[in-house]
Amino acid sequence: MDFQAYNKILICKDAIENVVVEGVTVGYEFKIKYPSYRGVFLSCIEELRFAIDGEPIAKQDIYFYLNGKQFLIDELKECFKEYWFVREKATVRVMKPGGITPGAHSLNVFMKHRVPYTGYFGQYLVLDSDMTDTLTAK
Amino acid sequence: MNQDIKLGISLYSFSTEYIQEKLDLEGVLKKARDMGYKGVELVAAQMVPEYPYPSDAWLAEFKGLLQKYELEPVCWSAYVDMGIRSDRDLTEDEIIQYTVNDLIYAKKAGFPLVRTQHAISPAIFRKMIPFCKELGMKLTIEMHHPHHPDVPVWQEYFAIMRGEGKGILGFVPDFSIFQTMPHQLYLEQAVALGCRREKLAQIIEIHKTTKDLEQIEAGDFNELERHVAKEMFAKFSAPGKVEQLKEYVDCIFYIHGKFYYLDNDEHDPCIPYEEIIRTIRQSGYKGYIASEYEGHHFDETVDSEVQLRHFVAMNEKLLNCEL
Repeated sequence: MDFQAYNKILICKDAIENVVVEGVTVGYEFKIKYPSYRGVFLSCIEELRFAIDGEPIAKQDIYFYLNGKQFLIDELKECFKEYWFVREKATVRVMKPGGITPGAHSLNVFMKHRVPYTGYFGQYLVLDSDMTDTLTAK
Repeated sequence: MNQDIKLGISLYSFSTEYIQEKLDLEGVLKKARDMGYKGVELVAAQMVPEYPYPSDAWLAEFKGLLQKYELEPVCWSAYVDMGIRSDRDLTEDEIIQYTVNDLIYAKKAGFPLVRTQHAISPAIFRKMIPFCKELGMKLTIEMHHPHHPDVPVWQEYFAIMRGEGKGILGFVPDFSIFQTMPHQLYLEQAVALGCRREKLAQIIEIHKTTKDLEQIEAGDFNELERHVAKEMFAKFSAPGKVEQLKEYVDCIFYIHGKFYYLDNDEHDPCIPYEEIIRTIRQSGYKGYIASEYEGHHFDETVDSEVQLRHFVAMNEKLLNCEL
């Protein structure tokens, strides 16, 4: 039951925003933070999944932005030089033609992440952070 | 006033306020100063935005803040993050290089001492001596629960600290090694998840007296209560012997005054502070005991400053009472 309180920072309260490219609404984005008391390298994220209004979001529709760079979900596990500072928000962009409708939406974020200093006996502590919150789309 | 033993603060104690962005690094340092602290410890992977390679600009800003609030840098806390890669653990050489990195940045930030973790291994710990000598830095390993001096690897560490690493390599006992029962915030979390208070009280009583886990397994307890009982029995059945602090005091460079929750200025029901502080005073230890509030992992609504004020009041009494 350790390490639970920090899950509450996973989903940021920022509004969901549509992403408009030269007048074309290609998707929407929201923000998340790393759910811990300390920062880690992105490679410690073993799984990262999202669902909006109960519908799982396909991995190939997601881009992850941090430190001014864009990552695909499957690239995260290789990013052992990309540090996620614990107060830094990452942006998750979801490709969806037309974007998201204004108003309240339920967002679920599931992150399985390895605590990188716990492998003293060969096995690492891997935490599940599973949070759902209601965000507002503009 | 006890002049030999000073209360310092691990800035990690303000995790709640820092993570919730109620206080930034300057806010945390100012709060520490306003509370009367002088010596500070920084968990670099928590409060250094550019970790593990902070820029000179950040370092200059940080040192300026220490000066502004008249604080003394005491301990730079590092990790042995051997699991950062997905394909394999870090090798021995890589752990050495990451630890050298921490020694260098700690020195640049003005800290004389780095705290690392027991996973560093005796072989690597020994290999750090020339780097520490070159940089004029001390390196310590935190002795944290479930470790204690009788865990075999620590006998190897003590031999290195007393041999070729004398005066350079040491350790940081963390009072979690002396914890005898779960703290209040853990118990509240258990209740919130579905444990019944009277059942938790029964489990604590059994753990304190007969230590008969089978009685719990056979008794009227729900699944979560059994889980909590197992966790409690596994964690708190073999606390370290406080008296051993005297035996190893020559290797103690710094101390973590770990605590989880205090509801008064007098007594911690989970960690035997009376015995610990008395023993440390008798041991002849000179240096800092860091206030290290760790309840934030269990309840982010608790005010860290209130907790720290209880901690300071309790410890000042214990440090200055008649032995």
